[in-house]
Amino acid sequence: MHREVFALLYNDNKELPPLLPTDTGKAYKQTKAKLGMRKVRKWVWAPFTNPARKDNAVFHHWKRVSDESKEYPFAQFNKLVSIPSYSESEYNQYLKSEDWSQAETDHLMDLCQRFDLRFIVIHDRWDRAAFRDRSVEDLKERYYGICATLSKVKTNPWSNSVTMVNGEKRTYHYDAEHERKRKEQLRRLFDRTQEQIDEEQMLLTELKKIEARKRERERKTQDLQKLISRADSGSTPLVQATNNEGSATPANVAANIARRHDRKIHKKKLTSQQRPIRAVETVTVEWSGIKFPEARGTGVWLRSQRMKLPPGVGQRKTKAIEQELRLMNIDVAPMPTEAICKGFNELRSDLALVLDLKNALDSCEYELQALRHQYEALNPGKTLTIPSSICSTHTDNEAKPAVGEIIDVVGSPSALNATI
Amino acid sequence: MSGPNGMLYGGDEIGALVFDPGHHSLRVGYAQEDTPKADIPAVIGVGPATHIPEPEEKVPDGNITQSGSKAGNELRHYIDVTELHVPRPHMEIQSYMKDGQVDNWDLFERMLDYCYSKVIRSPSEHHPALFTEAVWTTRPAREKLAELLFEKYQAPAFFLVKSAVLAAFANGKSTALVVDAGASQTSAVPVVDGYALVSAAARSPLGGDHLAMQAKHMLANMHIQMLPIYSIQSKEVIRERERGRYTLKTLPAGLTHSWQQYMLKRQYEDFCHCIAQISESPYDERTAASVPGVHYEFPGGYHQDFGPERFKLTECLFEQTLGAAHLVCAAAGACDADARPALWGSVVACGGLANTGGWVERLAKELAARAPSSHRLKSHAAPNAIERRFAAWIGGSILASIGSFQQMWISSQEYDEGGKGQLERKCP
Ligand SMILES: Nc1ncnc2c1ncn2[C@@H]1O[C@H](COP(=O)(O)OP(=O)(O)OP(=O)(O)O)[C@@H](O)[C@H]1O
Ligand SMILES: [Mg+2]
Repeated sequence: MHREVFALLYNDNKELPPLLPTDTGKAYKQTKAKLGMRKVRKWVWAPFTNPARKDNAVFHHWKRVSDESKEYPFAQFNKLVSIPSYSESEYNQYLKSEDWSQAETDHLMDLCQRFDLRFIVIHDRWDRAAFRDRSVEDLKERYYGICATLSKVKTNPWSNSVTMVNGEKRTYHYDAEHERKRKEQLRRLFDRTQEQIDEEQMLLTELKKIEARKRERERKTQDLQKLISRADSGSTPLVQATNNEGSATPANVAANIARRHDRKIHKKKLTSQQRPIRAVETVTVEWSGIKFPEARGTGVWLRSQRMKLPPGVGQRKTKAIEQELRLMNIDVAPMPTEAICKGFNELRSDLALVLDLKNALDSCEYELQALRHQYEALNPGKTLTIPSSICSTHTDNEAKPAVGEIIDVVGSPSALNATI
Repeated sequence: MSGPNGMLYGGDEIGALVFDPGHHSLRVGYAQEDTPKADIPAVIGVGPATHIPEPEEKVPDGNITQSGSKAGNELRHYIDVTELHVPRPHMEIQSYMKDGQVDNWDLFERMLDYCYSKVIRSPSEHHPALFTEAVWTTRPAREKLAELLFEKYQAPAFFLVKSAVLAAFANGKSTALVVDAGASQTSAVPVVDGYALVSAAARSPLGGDHLAMQAKHMLANMHIQMLPIYSIQSKEVIRERERGRYTLKTLPAGLTHSWQQYMLKRQYEDFCHCIAQISESPYDERTAASVPGVHYEFPGGYHQDFGPERFKLTECLFEQTLGAAHLVCAAAGACDADARPALWGSVVACGGLANTGGWVERLAKELAARAPSSHRLKSHAAPNAIERRFAAWIGGSILASIGSFQQMWISSQEYDEGGKGQLERKCP
């Protein structure tokens, strides 16, 4: 990006550049162009050294003559991961392992330093000619094991793998077995062939069918049971009907019809009862944030899938939510544990709701102002004072109107007109 | 580099050069520019010096370099199209590349001489040099290159980066599965956080050269003659599919076989660029026939429409066990399970061959069919042909002009102290 364009985006006073030409001053010929008031600052092809380099090599670049020779600005990006080190005797005392020779351990630590603990890359560059092949988990286990041991025995541990909590050293514990299992499961999940997936799908639908049939059967036996009990208590002579499975006996049919009818009425009652309440609630339902689908129907899946936004959420909204998360300093893709999944989804759902409400509020505000202008234009001389109860601009601290109120306003634009 | 309000911008240009040697051509230019300064065919014509007395001879250090000063046995090296494409007696075409890496160092030196003197036109001591390399480049070849740059060309600094990494950078990604369809081969290389996973890389010899061979066979089967364009004096305008009427030029005697083959190969390549098209799904006679044909006129004047042949020709590129889609699956499958979702999420296509019509679409489609359903698949390719073909070079241009990269160079001091052994450590 050109720096001029960049400066438009981020300038000091944080004001957006005007959209319309704002040059309302005199025409160009009257204003005296003030070009060249400042002297042109010269550029030179100058040598520089980079403190991030250990060899003091001299390179050349263009710089302003006037710029004081300060430290090479990009040197500040030279960040290194601190990796523990150990002496020969420390190794022999604490770190000896049956599985790992010292040469191999040294190689591991070297790779960790070179690739900044990117274990996948370390695994890729592992010297397979000199040492036996190891899995990523083996490497991590050894490395974190060393970290843990050294942080216990060393007095001045390196910074990154030790955290002090209440003056007490805490080290990360790497659960290699668990990781191996997780990786194995992941691998198996990824390596499934299409046929296997189809088969699983098929089996799942079969299972559903079987369950449906089972339920049907249970219902039937219950019906039967009821019939029997009724037959036992009443004087219906059709006891044999239980034996011939066919449900075509008049009593059975009658019972069935009665039950169905019963259910229908029940349903009707329910809905008719709910309707008046719903009428108020429907609006709320529309604004209820994001509905994350429950388990997808395709057998095995990763828990992280649960954190995926459903496809109904548009790209703009996704971006807006991510932006909010960033403002709150929350990772946009946190580790999907059970609790985090739940909390994260709830948070994002709430965020979506807040964003919607904000938008709604903004558009109300806009409409209100527009109407005010319209009113004032039609009735010159009069001003419309908007009651402060419905005007929320610039009153961040003021108690915001309850959610319900705003929604009401949005839900019925006529209500808006009425208030004015 | 830093703006008016104290912000630090990413770039700092130190006059570095970027070289991207390939089997088809060598790309060279200044870092921070958006395209290479030159794209030079990766072959060199070697012929006796005595035959053509031309004014260039006054400048011995030009693209016509002199060597082998043994009396009577002088050889001249002809580089770049203007020199190379002239019919010269006894000029043999030689390539310095083999299996994705530089093989003939003497010839490669000629090429570098040419780059510095004719393209860059500035002494090599002034410019740090960044080279791209294939992931399977062997250690001796890397060290030889460093040695050459530091000892012969006195470069102030040198660096080597895997071309897949650079192609990923050029597409704005640090983690990607890069599919490079070049001239000699097609490869798929996973890149994680800016490091290529060497052991997971996969490649096959189905590249642009293979396609050109295929075109040659196809035309031979159709009994269409590809006359060398340099042999045609004039031709008449004729109706479609009519026999060509042309007159031949008188050519110098002693044109070598290698040169003739090289010239013909370029013509077959041109033919491929014009008519080759890849169908979105595996070749099917009927759908292929329904697509309008493309007209092509051969050097002899013969011309005709090519219809289904366009699709039939390219079908070899997506062969089941060697095709690009298969390579991607193999490369992804060889990676650690934790890395796979990110890789499937950004498959980057680059290389000259990826410009063939429909190549990217076909790859996307085949991958969608083959990728495990638990992954979100996204394939990506630069929108225009130049950016695809020069992806690795452009990535190098970006990298070498980033301020925080300037600490990575191997400087000549470091080379003097540590020797070439440190190459493995410094340029992973
Ligand atoms: N516009 C185009 N359409 C189709 N094919 C093209 C196009 N441009 C170049 N090619 C083909 O791409 C190939 C060259 O690609 P590229 O420049 O990536 O190869 P390279 O890097 O020199 O070779 P390699 O990667 O094998 O060492 C040639 O075979 C050429 O025919
Ligand atoms: Mg290439």
